[in-house]
Amino acid sequence: MKRITYLTCTLLVAVLVAAMIGWSMAAGNFIVPVIAIPLGTIVVLACRRNVQEVIGDERLNKVRSRAALRTIEVIVIAGAIAAVIFYSFMISDSLSPKVTGRVYLNDDGTSSMIIHLYKPGSAETPENLIRSTTIRDINSMNEAEAMDYSQFRRGAFLDNELKGIAGMTIGASLVAMLCIFGAFYLYYDRKY
Amino acid sequence: MKNRIRVLRAEREMTQEQLAELVGVTRNTIISIEKDKYCPSLKLGFRIARLFGIGIDDVFTYEEDKDGPSQDDD
Repeated sequence: MKRITYLTCTLLVAVLVAAMIGWSMAAGNFIVPVIAIPLGTIVVLACRRNVQEVIGDERLNKVRSRAALRTIEVIVIAGAIAAVIFYSFMISDSLSPKVTGRVYLNDDGTSSMIIHLYKPGSAETPENLIRSTTIRDINSMNEAEAMDYSQFRRGAFLDNELKGIAGMTIGASLVAMLCIFGAFYLYYDRKY
Repeated sequence: MKNRIRVLRAEREMTQEQLAELVGVTRNTIISIEKDKYCPSLKLGFRIARLFGIGIDDVFTYEEDKDGPSQDDD
């Protein structure tokens, strides 16, 4: 097997395993990653064993280790700055009021809703209540009711949004890390 | 660190690719060594010298900088 074939195989296996893990997480099937990850590793190792060309030597090891070290240095500094920024967001987020709501089915077939706005970082007790809004009919609400309703809806989906943001942050960090490593790799490859 | 690999290779009509294959490294490594950009390990140095059938001193020459030991690491 040639080096380029091995690299193509590795890329294909990585994409396939990532897709399978993504699908299994969405489907709630946690057995697939347990099987797919070791299987993918075995396939890549088997391909590597069949490569006839030299795919690594002491110079490449030196280039890779130097690039990895510099990448870690950059990531640690950038990560510390990002952590402080995100932590400050988390602190400021607790200052926003807490919104809760409940839907009631009326006898005439319409749906009413009561939305409560509580003081930031406090328990849902009557003394912490800032204001309450009652939407008599969800299907025909006025502007003020709609604004309260949209705020409530946004709060309801906040958990999902946060998970999505966390996923995107990890993904972007990984891409950034690979780009930084690639840049340092090219630099040291030219140097040595 | 200076070396005579290019000359020794030319004397034996050996390509960089062939030398790389015989000592178990990539062609880029041989190119880097010949250009004095990369200083090989003792193990690789001995392997190259043994392949040419001469001593390691005949292949590599250590030249100390005026300021002291050469700093080719960073």
